[in-house]
Amino acid sequence: MKRFLKMLLIVSIAGTFVLPWLSPPVYFVSLLFIVFMYVVLAESWVLIGGFAGYLSFGHGAFLGIGAYTTALLVNHFHLSPLWVLLSAIPAGAVAAGMAAVIGYPALRLRGPYFALITLCFAFVMELVVKNLDCLGGPEGLWLKAMGIRVGLARGIFFEVMFVLMIVTVLTVRHIEYSRFGVGLKAIKEDEEVAQTLCVHTPRAKLSAFVLSAFFPGVAGGFYAYYLSYIHPASVFSIDISILIVLMALFGGGGTYLGPLVGAISLSLINELLSAFLKAEYARIIYGLLFVVLILYLPDGVMSFFGREPSIGRERKIESPG
Amino acid sequence: MTGILVLQSMISGLMIGAIYGLLGVGFSLVWGAMKVINIAHAAFAVLGAYLAYTLLKMFGIDPVLGFFVMLPFLFFGGMILYRILIFPVSRARDTVVSSMVLTFGCAIVIENLIALIGSSDPRVFTTRYTGKAFFLGPFAFQLPQTVGALLAVGGMTVLYVFLKRTHTGKALRAAWQQPEAARLYGINLKRISMIAFGLAVASAGLGGIAMGFVYSFDPHTQNLWLIYIFLVVILGGVGNVMGTALAGLIIGLLNGLSLAFFPYQWVNVITFGVLILILLVRPSGLFKSEM
Repeated sequence: MKRFLKMLLIVSIAGTFVLPWLSPPVYFVSLLFIVFMYVVLAESWVLIGGFAGYLSFGHGAFLGIGAYTTALLVNHFHLSPLWVLLSAIPAGAVAAGMAAVIGYPALRLRGPYFALITLCFAFVMELVVKNLDCLGGPEGLWLKAMGIRVGLARGIFFEVMFVLMIVTVLTVRHIEYSRFGVGLKAIKEDEEVAQTLCVHTPRAKLSAFVLSAFFPGVAGGFYAYYLSYIHPASVFSIDISILIVLMALFGGGGTYLGPLVGAISLSLINELLSAFLKAEYARIIYGLLFVVLILYLPDGVMSFFGREPSIGRERKIESPG
Repeated sequence: MTGILVLQSMISGLMIGAIYGLLGVGFSLVWGAMKVINIAHAAFAVLGAYLAYTLLKMFGIDPVLGFFVMLPFLFFGGMILYRILIFPVSRARDTVVSSMVLTFGCAIVIENLIALIGSSDPRVFTTRYTGKAFFLGPFAFQLPQTVGALLAVGGMTVLYVFLKRTHTGKALRAAWQQPEAARLYGINLKRISMIAFGLAVASAGLGGIAMGFVYSFDPHTQNLWLIYIFLVVILGGVGNVMGTALAGLIIGLLNGLSLAFFPYQWVNVITFGVLILILLVRPSGLFKSEM
């Protein structure tokens, strides 16, 4: 059984790799690109939000920072197509650096306070970028075209994002069972106790936060080029930040499989609903989905399969009634 | 002249701040009493504003009067909602997280139901006193804004008296501070939480109406209102009614003052920036977070 699953996994990964070269509909390739991006976002969010229990509601900002960094790099240095792809890596580094600056003070806050300050951070980032003329203001920035066929470009970005997704998932999976990951989970359980057990909590939290900002930054770099035109509302929207959290929690936030399941299912459901229904009906069904999910599976989709998404924080109070 | 301008913007800032305070108090009531983060709080506020708007348009009922017409529906609606949706979540392993996902779903549903049944274009209350103002010395008071602020102050006073003076209010505070001990003393936590949620929904409706006097609203306004609610509650300390009310006033003041000195588009940036700084210095809000 286990071998069979492994074979299936390898075959499906290989299949996804060759997919864009079998001339499928362009829409399909674009849809999968977005799905992969959300997997990267939700998966990297789990490092800080799922393992350490620090719910970051501003992770969308790192996507935006990555996107704008890439756009500025590309437009400033007139990069050739190959370099364009590599410029996403400094974009990730900038996002990580920003995370270090924000995280150092913000990670001293606990629980909902941290969640809300990161939300404010994302909000401020959007406003600041909107009001800075050197970043294009509310109109945003155009990226110079790569000078290759659109279909080919789409295929390349598909592959690149897919690779990034695999790297992210593997990294998070590796961390989940590493010493570092266990330390993070200890922080989620009880920060003081973790400290007495020789977990260097400030350092662990900060490294988790910085690492979890790096991947969204890189993804933002690819996303900027994929869109070829970015403006604050498209890459800095609060909706993206909230969606990341929901995707991770939808699947069950404590394990690397949760966000994978959550991001894939939610982005596909969202896409299908809005393809077939009027926008308001689609959103209502989408909203009801969350309500029904929580009523029947309060701990996320993955809890249905009996997989414990790491031990949750013990409730402080008994349930009323 | 500038002195008067500054004072004038402080006054209108304070009036808006009172409304933020009322919205924050309702939010903090639910958070404190049942450890539920109610993302749908701002959606309830927008719903209240829309209902009052409909009453005004269809029957010519003034929004202030309209609130008292809606009050029983809001209160009992909130209680039923608690029983159906929130109560099951309070048994989840991680209430905070589960309740956020659930109420986020509720917010989306409410937002889009309003957009579907009403429409998405911005609305304002147009009453007999819209566009009128009175003067106290050199300061102008816009009537609708003043009505909104008075509504907010009234709502907060009622909540405060309820929590401090009535038997049920005291039980609610007990359940908030020591759920287990409160239970030992024979307090029915489920009933208390139901009442708290009903009150929160009713106060959100009132806050929405008060906001409707000051700003235009559409179904998607709830996002911005929600962020302001968060700010007020965080600054004021969770569960601290007086603190939340004061935090509302501070944020309103900050908004009003920065409006007087900076271009409009930077006002939110400045407000949020100052708040981040305050939080970094005082990580758990300005005031103590007990009731």
